[in-house]
Amino acid sequence: MRLLPGTTVDSVLFDVEAGKIREFARASQCSDLVHVDAATAADRGFGSVLATATHVVVAGHHRDQTEFVEKLGMDIRRIVVGSTSWDYTRPVRAGDTLTGVRTVVADENRGTMRLVTLETTYVDVAGEVVVRQREVLIEKGQP
Amino acid sequence: MTATPPPPRTIGPITQTDIVRFAGAGGDFNPIHHDPAVARAAGFEQPIAMGQFTAALLAGWLTDSYGVEHLRHFEVRFRSPLRIGDVIDLRGSVVSTDDTSVTLELVATRGDQQLVSGRATLSV
Repeated sequence: MRLLPGTTVDSVLFDVEAGKIREFARASQCSDLVHVDAATAADRGFGSVLATATHVVVAGHHRDQTEFVEKLGMDIRRIVVGSTSWDYTRPVRAGDTLTGVRTVVADENRGTMRLVTLETTYVDVAGEVVVRQREVLIEKGQP
Repeated sequence: MTATPPPPRTIGPITQTDIVRFAGAGGDFNPIHHDPAVARAAGFEQPIAMGQFTAALLAGWLTDSYGVEHLRHFEVRFRSPLRIGDVIDLRGSVVSTDDTSVTLELVATRGDQQLVSGRATLSV
């Protein structure tokens, strides 16, 4: 099975909440008060607390991993994430509602491995791109 | 903002609680991260952390100094799993600067072994 570039894999819609930002910042061991204190955020020019750099991984709460892997035609027991990148237009902040559409960028074989590159574009309610996350999934060959 | 890397940060020893806390925050409930039997079946002595946990620690260390609002690009490559009991060091170095941005190379290591390597670009 090979996926065509541009194929949509899934989409998510979620609100960015101050409480989740605090929870994720603590789990990420971030100490910048801009993630938890509205006054600090205001001092830096923002109307609400800012999410941490990798906050959009909370989309995992809103995705069906089993369905996702089936759609890719991959064996979850042999998948590892090789790399991830994020490109930011602006910081994610409390009060955002983000829609993330994940599409196939590339699907290629390298020796016995299959490499699938996916990109999720997160847009706000105005339709503006906030952040793009790209990930490379590696499916190892059959043992 | 000055074009200097943040001072190195040491984190750990990593606990199962750290990993479970991140799983709950981020929504990654792959049992390899919390179920010892599943981890053993996958060839590990005990549950391992998700790569996104190490990535989040590295990003947090960087943005705690620079401010997340200045981050334009962040990338990580996962090289070896983070294990319970590990003590990791986060370090970085500036590789280029121009009038509008600074780019750093970043690394999370356990002893001499790289767990995650990365690169970040921030606006100045």
